[in-house]
Amino acid sequence: MFSNYLKTAWRSIVRNKAFSFINITGLSVGIAASLLLFIVVQYEMSYDTFQPNYDRIYRVVTQDKFDKDITTNSGIPVPALKALRVELPNIQFGALRSIYGSQITVPSANNGAGNKFIEESGIFYLEPQLFEVFTYHWLAGGPSALKDPNHVVLDERTAGKYFGSWQQAIGKTITLDNFIPLKVSGILQNVPANSNLPLRVLVSFATLQQYGEAYGHYDSWNNTSSNFNIFALLPPGMKAADMNRALLQFSKTHYEPLRGNSIKTNFLQPLAEMHFDRRFESFADHVTSRSTLVTLLLIGVFIILMACVNFINLSTALAVNRSKEMGIRKVLGSNRMQLFKQVMSETTGIVCIAVIVALCIAYLVLPYIKHIASIEEPLSLFTPTTMGMVGGIGAVVILLAGLYPSFVMSKFNPITALKNRMVSASVHGVSLRRGLVVMQFTISQILVIATAVAVSQMNFISKADLGFQKESVLIMNVSADSASLSKEDAFKRQLLQIPGVQSVSFSTDEPSSENMWTTNFAYDHQPDEKYQLALKYADADYLKTFGLQLVAGRPIQPSDTLREGIINETLVRKLGVKNPHEVIGKTIKLGNGKWYPIVGVVKDFKTHSLRDDIKPLFISTQKDFYTRLAIKLRTSQMMATRAAIEKSWNQFYPDYAFAPSFFEEQIARFYRQEEQLSLLYKIFAGLAIFISCLGLYGLVSFMVVQKTKEVGIRKVLGASITSLLQLFSKEFTVLIIVAFFIAVPVAWYMMHNWLNNFVYRVPLNAWFFITAITGSILIAWITVGYKAIKAAVANPVKALRSE
Amino acid sequence: MIKIRDLEKIYRTEEVETVALNKISIDVKEGEFVAIMGPSGCGKSTLLNILGLLDDPDNGSFLFNNIEVAHFNERKRAELRKHNIGFVFQSFNLIDELTVFENVELPLIYTGVKSGERKKRVEEVLDKMQIMHRRNHYPQQLSGGQQQRVAVARAVVNNPKLILADEPTGNLDSSNGNEVMSLLTDLNEQGTTIIMVTHSEHDARYSHRIIRMLDGQTVLENIMV
Repeated sequence: MFSNYLKTAWRSIVRNKAFSFINITGLSVGIAASLLLFIVVQYEMSYDTFQPNYDRIYRVVTQDKFDKDITTNSGIPVPALKALRVELPNIQFGALRSIYGSQITVPSANNGAGNKFIEESGIFYLEPQLFEVFTYHWLAGGPSALKDPNHVVLDERTAGKYFGSWQQAIGKTITLDNFIPLKVSGILQNVPANSNLPLRVLVSFATLQQYGEAYGHYDSWNNTSSNFNIFALLPPGMKAADMNRALLQFSKTHYEPLRGNSIKTNFLQPLAEMHFDRRFESFADHVTSRSTLVTLLLIGVFIILMACVNFINLSTALAVNRSKEMGIRKVLGSNRMQLFKQVMSETTGIVCIAVIVALCIAYLVLPYIKHIASIEEPLSLFTPTTMGMVGGIGAVVILLAGLYPSFVMSKFNPITALKNRMVSASVHGVSLRRGLVVMQFTISQILVIATAVAVSQMNFISKADLGFQKESVLIMNVSADSASLSKEDAFKRQLLQIPGVQSVSFSTDEPSSENMWTTNFAYDHQPDEKYQLALKYADADYLKTFGLQLVAGRPIQPSDTLREGIINETLVRKLGVKNPHEVIGKTIKLGNGKWYPIVGVVKDFKTHSLRDDIKPLFISTQKDFYTRLAIKLRTSQMMATRAAIEKSWNQFYPDYAFAPSFFEEQIARFYRQEEQLSLLYKIFAGLAIFISCLGLYGLVSFMVVQKTKEVGIRKVLGASITSLLQLFSKEFTVLIIVAFFIAVPVAWYMMHNWLNNFVYRVPLNAWFFITAITGSILIAWITVGYKAIKAAVANPVKALRSE
Repeated sequence: MIKIRDLEKIYRTEEVETVALNKISIDVKEGEFVAIMGPSGCGKSTLLNILGLLDDPDNGSFLFNNIEVAHFNERKRAELRKHNIGFVFQSFNLIDELTVFENVELPLIYTGVKSGERKKRVEEVLDKMQIMHRRNHYPQQLSGGQQQRVAVARAVVNNPKLILADEPTGNLDSSNGNEVMSLLTDLNEQGTTIIMVTHSEHDARYSHRIIRMLDGQTVLENIMV
């Protein structure tokens, strides 16, 4: 029986080539697209799930509650580590401190100076106890390798990069930032890319006792750095809420005596949330919002639904043509269940073909999607999970696409079916088909509107006036060690001699950065303000280099220490001062308790990404904090200028690698996730439109066959080609307009929420919606047009004769 | 074999009520060859559909082999139909996607006959219908006469007790029509009961008895000598 079903199914596919092609193409593209989206989502959801104690691991984070504001910090004051171990002895704690942009020098036989590697991320000072919280596989050595100062553990890949192979790395000595010798005492198997802790170079935590200050590691309850993190492994059965209660008490004990302008508390952040909670930093290359993943999942589900809608529409339309076969089978003794099974088998056959084609498409496209989604891990389609997903999608599609047509066809009255009296309307599917077309166009219009808004927001960001010049500014790390600091002035003078260099500035960070250096402060001998003040330390050329404009006062004078400062317009407003000139000459008290005069007010610029408000800001000089160098280039002969800068660099800092990048690229990295989402929207909105049109084309093809006689009669009676075209396009146009009115509120709500992520955003105006409806109608007309024109210009005699 | 009494079938729409069968009573004995004739719309096909258990009457009694089947549900009707009744249609009603062999095999599949046995029986019947050489062809590759022979083969492959033929020669030229009528006559001579709806007096003459209908009722019965 089953082989008979398959045989009939296969021959039916071959016989109705055009419809089969549309069905299989739509389903394949839909399955491939959703499979790829699900793989991306599954990957993002899999962060750190390989840890055996995943559900019991937490990070102890900090929150400062101000009068009107709450700030969060992924770090915790350094002394808290000891205190936690004493006060909560039943909890296993492990700590680490991350450092960024450090240089590793590896001795080389060929190169006397050694090979230099700038490690932007992945370097940690790490306690051996952390390995009691997290589980990793060791290729050589063990946690005790990190017990003593000046020892380092490398992961397999980094050891290979430095020494050729990990076996050769053991026992060798490398140098961190040109002043810390480290002996390689252990090798860790590469940590999977889907980890929030990309452990590559692990320096023993004990080393920090000697060199802590160079890395901003202060053993003080007053200092909280997001780079110093404590992780906790709760004992089995212990609830996070119980631990949070204990941490509340802990916070009261240790922070209340400090009497800051905020209420500081520590609490637990689950490891499972680390990849998704944008309030806190992660050591991984990105944090993903759950709403982005839900959006991607929804798009995947939408696309599958659309492909199923095509299948249902075409199958029920084609059912009219197959009614005779169903009638014969019933007459010959088939019962309804057998026919139901037959149609379901056919659907299964088509879905199986579509799944195979989809796997081929997904296999070819996966590398591009990985690139777009910035997934470094080698993802394979042929894993048990992915295959399970494919099976799941296949089963859902079979059920969604097969149930209704099977139900309709098995219900045919054999007498009517045999007499070929079945017409489209009698298949009871017309209103359903209309409903489904409306659903398809609702989905595609939502995606079109979302795409238009996302692309427009991205354009707005790339063209937005950030309040500073980001173009042609070369930026790089500089060491803050005393030897390097002493050369800064001379190096700057030499750089300014290069014709292509316009301006040079040393600072803690660029105008727009992820820096969260804040302090409590007081203005004009009043009590402490109830909000935090952002700090940037930079030399006197900072304003010139980044094109920042003063609205009152003068720039800061060159100085090696903190003597005076300039503030931004936001701070002036927050202080309740109307005229910026009024603050000139007034003083500000910083966290160190000293008062500093305000000498200027800088015009507001975006201190962070456009997602955030402009923070109240204080800019001053403090040479020993400078770790960033910015060089404003003239636009001509930039390559030659870069080469000249490199030459000077190597002359002044021969021990440090020259690794510059452009400021513009750094700004672009802020919006990488939005860019990715915008690109994914574009791709999948395109696919959604393609699938809708495919379905529409199929339906119109069917409609043309059904209406051949009607068109013939109308032509004989004098109908014009235009009126005949209207006959085909009117219904679909109405359906698209109905879909539009459903799509508008959904899309508005969705994109309104998305835009709320940005403080600076495009207005959600009517043009986005007008574009969607106009575009959809145009595309639908083009799709319908070809078949409709062919039917309208056909010889009516032929049409009537064929009837 | 068939005994119907006061059978009624009324088709209703919102405004119109059409009486297709008006308290009709007919008996058909086992081994008989009965022709049903009458003008279009007189209820012949409705009667044939009810006799073939494709439709159910609104009122009256229908005994098939002494079993009351008038109000059988669809599943029971299908069960009874597939074991006892074969159909031959004017428009052949072969499945275009299946070959000659597969079309004839279909009733055996639905009655659960094993594959080996099916092959044997299909080949036997194709041989008998002299269409064996076309076993792997598709319906659209055959002439009308050949298609109807395949349809007859399909109708008899399950050895039904009753064959219902709805204008079996309606789409055939006279030569092919005669051939099909000879086949039906042969089957009848071998013991199969045949009820045939036809407009053709020529074809009706092959039967033992002609029932003439008008407006849903039998108006005349001719016994053929």
